[in-house]
Amino acid sequence: MINELREFLAIYAENWADWGPQIYAAIWVTIKLTVVSFAIAIVLGLCLALGKLSPLKVVRAFCTGYIEVARGVPALAILFLLYFGLVPLGIVFDAFTAGAIGLGMSAAGYIAEVFRAGIEAIHKGQREAALSVGMTPAMTFRHIILPQAMRIILPPLLNMVIILLKDTSICSLISTEELMLRAKDLAMMSFLPMHLFLLAGVLYFALAWPLSIITRKVEKMMQRGRRQTFGIN
Amino acid sequence: MEDFFQKLMELGGPLLLGAGTTVAITIASLLVAIVLGLSLALIRLLGILPVNWLISTYVEIFRNTPVLAQIFIIYFSLPYLGINIGPFPAAVIGLGLNGGAVLCEVFRAGLNAIHHGQREAALAVGMTPWMSLRYIMLPQTWRITLPPLGNYAIALLKDTAVVSAIAAPEIMFWARNLVTSTFQTTFVYILAALIYFCLSFPLARLVEQFERRQRAWQ
Repeated sequence: MINELREFLAIYAENWADWGPQIYAAIWVTIKLTVVSFAIAIVLGLCLALGKLSPLKVVRAFCTGYIEVARGVPALAILFLLYFGLVPLGIVFDAFTAGAIGLGMSAAGYIAEVFRAGIEAIHKGQREAALSVGMTPAMTFRHIILPQAMRIILPPLLNMVIILLKDTSICSLISTEELMLRAKDLAMMSFLPMHLFLLAGVLYFALAWPLSIITRKVEKMMQRGRRQTFGIN
Repeated sequence: MEDFFQKLMELGGPLLLGAGTTVAITIASLLVAIVLGLSLALIRLLGILPVNWLISTYVEIFRNTPVLAQIFIIYFSLPYLGINIGPFPAAVIGLGLNGGAVLCEVFRAGLNAIHHGQREAALAVGMTPWMSLRYIMLPQTWRITLPPLGNYAIALLKDTAVVSAIAAPEIMFWARNLVTSTFQTTFVYILAALIYFCLSFPLARLVEQFERRQRAWQ
């Protein structure tokens, strides 16, 4: 058993000179992909959430429709549509851009619902009070609503980062040069699928686990804060 | 227009066939996930520390790695140990194990949400621990866990798309095949997305309705 384990690990040591630099580069792409798609999802999600709360019926209908579709269709289908499906129409993205936009568009549907729930949870008296002391709607949102909503929004938002990090792996199917694709390519070349996919799994875990712990901590912190405010009220 | 319908018939058939497989994979892995998740959540209640650590480790590992990595390990690495399985069982095992970890947490939260007085009262009136679980705890847990369970089922339905990577013949797999044979790229992928939407949208409305009724009930 121990001998087998030693043999198993020896293969990593043997190949590390070859695999190491490629894997490092791929991790970097995975991180970049996560950050960029999260940024897209946040901006788009906030716009959609505000759109869904808008008094204009057309805007509301469009945003509701977008959110439903984004939440009802797999990210992979959106990625394929963006990367392969738009080529005949003359719209060509490189694999990284398609991956980041696709994941961002998909996650925006969820993030919009998270934002909306957070905003709606703030008592409407807060908004009315802010407006009545002469704040503009934009100021009200920026200084009164959003800071309070953040408490409800932050934990699911952090969760979304973890989900996105894991979902970047499906970008390998549209040939984005990230961790999963690199692992798959190296596995095919070296005929060592077990070693490489386990390595990929361990690396994803190493990236995601600290985030999970932070998310749980933040969740607990936010709950504590809420109990205090309830006490005051 | 006639051309359009002809195209629709020609390309829609295989995609709907794939939809059947998608639904089959979803239901099979949902069953695996529910049985596994509920069992683990219940075993956790026994409070045997080493066992609980094992379960926590399993949950943490499967929740913090991509499902695609899990499926690749199962499908490409098990033959290396002399175990050969087809893409369909590999998909169900991978998604099921992944779902077991998610649902273990869902059921645990559900069981924790029930006041411990309920169990104590059941035991006090002479129920056995098993009866208290069966008639008092689980029915109440079920009501709490149904909405997150429904949301998980929707997420699972969408996650089945990734098993096209190991050539399980579901919607995305057929879509990719159709594209290589017909070059109707845009049309096929839009149609595939539409089929997924038609499958998940009613489910989402059902979950929403249940949540609303539950809120009214509370």
